[in-house]
Amino acid sequence: MKSKIDALWKWLDERLDLSQIIAFAQHKTVPQHKYSFWYYWGGISLFLFLVQALTGVLLLIYYRPGPEAFDSVRQITYEINFGWLIRSLHAWAANLMVASIFVHMFSVYFMKAYRAPREFGWWSGMLLLMISTVFGFSGYLLPMNELSYFATKVGLEIPTSMPIIGPLIGDIVRAGPEVSEYTLQRFFALHVVVLPALFVPILVFHLWLVQRNGMALPPSEEARPVQERKTIPFFPNFFMKDLAVWLITLNVLALLAVCFPWDLGVQADALKPAPLGIHPEWYFMSAFQILKVFGNLLPGDLGEAMGVGIFTLGIILWMLIPLYDPDSRSGERARHATYFGLLVLAGVIVLTIWGYAAL
Amino acid sequence: MNYPLWDVPMIGGGWVIGITAIFHLLISQFAVGGGLYLALAEQKALREGRRDWLEVIRLHSRFFLILTAVFGTVSGVGIWFAIGLANPEGTSALIHNFVFAWAIEWVFFLVELATVAVYYYTWGRISDRLHLQVGWLYAVASFFTLFIINGILSFKLTPGSEWLAVAGSGQEASRFWEAMFNPGFWPSLFLRMGICSSLAGVWALATCSRISNDKPKLKEEFIQWTAKWLLPLFMTMPFLLAWYVHQIPEAQRVLFTLGVNTVAPGVFTMVTRMVVIILVSSITIMGVVYFIALRSPSDFKIPQAVVIVFLALTLVGSLEYTREMLRKPFIIAEHLYSNGVRTKAIERVNKDGYLKDTLWIRGGSKTSVARGEAMYRGQCMSCHTVDGYRPTRTLLAGRDRAAIGSFLKVLHEHKPDSPYYRFMPPLVGTDDEVQALGDYLETLVPKTENSFK
Repeated sequence: MKSKIDALWKWLDERLDLSQIIAFAQHKTVPQHKYSFWYYWGGISLFLFLVQALTGVLLLIYYRPGPEAFDSVRQITYEINFGWLIRSLHAWAANLMVASIFVHMFSVYFMKAYRAPREFGWWSGMLLLMISTVFGFSGYLLPMNELSYFATKVGLEIPTSMPIIGPLIGDIVRAGPEVSEYTLQRFFALHVVVLPALFVPILVFHLWLVQRNGMALPPSEEARPVQERKTIPFFPNFFMKDLAVWLITLNVLALLAVCFPWDLGVQADALKPAPLGIHPEWYFMSAFQILKVFGNLLPGDLGEAMGVGIFTLGIILWMLIPLYDPDSRSGERARHATYFGLLVLAGVIVLTIWGYAAL
Repeated sequence: MNYPLWDVPMIGGGWVIGITAIFHLLISQFAVGGGLYLALAEQKALREGRRDWLEVIRLHSRFFLILTAVFGTVSGVGIWFAIGLANPEGTSALIHNFVFAWAIEWVFFLVELATVAVYYYTWGRISDRLHLQVGWLYAVASFFTLFIINGILSFKLTPGSEWLAVAGSGQEASRFWEAMFNPGFWPSLFLRMGICSSLAGVWALATCSRISNDKPKLKEEFIQWTAKWLLPLFMTMPFLLAWYVHQIPEAQRVLFTLGVNTVAPGVFTMVTRMVVIILVSSITIMGVVYFIALRSPSDFKIPQAVVIVFLALTLVGSLEYTREMLRKPFIIAEHLYSNGVRTKAIERVNKDGYLKDTLWIRGGSKTSVARGEAMYRGQCMSCHTVDGYRPTRTLLAGRDRAAIGSFLKVLHEHKPDSPYYRFMPPLVGTDDEVQALGDYLETLVPKTENSFK
């Protein structure tokens, strides 16, 4: 039996160079220090993405966009065996993924892992976060219930209120003046074809960069002499730990999906007035609040335009940080960048809480 | 109903019992399995002359003593308070039948408490042999507390035909032994022993992970020994569980599958969902114990131990919750409903009235709504709350007075083909009382559909 396995291995190895890949994985090391915990968050995000890909395909089997959308989700939730579980896993994994990407982004930021030569890791990661939020926004509408319908309607008022290009964006995204089943069809195409087609190549690029550049060391570790730094082999040690973390994530996800299954809500009715307290998903809350604050401060479109402008400027500054703080050993710029990061983090938290409190 | 009612807003009295009982079980089951673990580990250390092992066992026994003798004992008393307040009828029925059993259990409990203290405080002060004997005495005493309590707990789900034949006659205690060794006794005992021993292993892994890194070999040996303790137990568990499930009455077993295709509120879909948690957490624990604790013990550190303990607690909590749910709509199957109504009293109460034994009606019994509220408190509140757990207001939303009336009629008639037959007790009382309950429930339902803020 063993000789047969060996022969099979040899056959595969000759054709696919598997031993080279394993040698590479064994050769690769992962630094060990007191901040190592933060290395797992990229992996957690990846795992949650895989869960969504799998559960998404399963949902696709029963989901029907168009006029039957709500009814098909009702069937998934209340008729099909374990449909409720698949749907809950999908929805919870989506929220947890955005949350873990946020944790990953801030940990990369504060560990200065965006510095040379890792700028493209930062930029590709930011793109992945942006696409994830669009994934969330487009997926939210698919059940076509009251909340998702009106939240999408309100959400789309933001880009469409922009001067000049706003109406055009509205026409393209909504397929008309109102959110309708045509909008749903477009969101569906976006959610299951366009976004995955964009996301996966960028993700592969992002992961390849991690392989190419290795894990970044935080400045406090970099300051140590090389011989004092501890590392562990990527394979099997770090790989096993990563798997264990994935397993824990799976348990947390299962607990949430089972104890708090996703609600179906009431079917959307465009003729009904919008319910009070309609708000976007939590990860858009800080942006939503900025727009609200400026909308209240300044009259008319000016306020909203100002809000959109400030928010966009913030994102651009955030993305450009590797250029501002490329490799400053003096500590001066690095400290400014840290203060800026803390300000952004505090801003996001405060605005999100404020947003919910003001509902 | 002669007892005053304890109204616990939001979570309901049932969850007060649930939370206290699950907390207590997590510790008391550890106390039972842990006795066996300590005695066997000490025996192995003495046989092999491993003094360094004894030091680890001593530290583990300190943790064991504090957790079981302090938190276990206090929460055990807590259960008595909780069940006495939240479910006096059920508690009364059990005491009348099992007072003798509890008396025996308390004797074993006293021996358990005394020996665990002696065990910890005599490390190095008495001979090794005598110390080990104290350990074994503890293990045996704690096993017998489980043995007896298991009889009472399994009785509630499967009281057995002999006992049921005399139930309500005043002669129940004459069938004490049949009630004690009811049809579910042995499968339940073996399953519980499996759970107790597994919990002992899980908690021991937590202590092992805290052994100083200065003694890597000792730490690895202990972690591996404990992993070897746990894995066979986990592998036998599915068989013990299958045996246990097999003896559950068919009518109750159906609860397992109610949540396969739906999460609709108002039906008992939670049991299926709990089974999902049980499966996922068991496989995870087994995976971590095998791949990390056994195969790579040097990687088994405090975070891994914390995860395992947390998962094991989730697992035991889910198992207990499922066991409780399986008994619905009864406290004692076929005899006493979860709202304290006895099966044999239904006819009489329907004729003579439910409220005639109710002393606490708001403002006397003048208005229909006040009498309806007393009906609600007596017959619904043991499982429902107004706005929190299983919220009446939400479950009735959208129904007008007539719809509430038809719903109550279904509950009152309690026909075997009713969708609620398997999970809800019958509504008892005269037509007037049922009418009064409907009037009260109508006051709870929002007048306009108000799903928005």
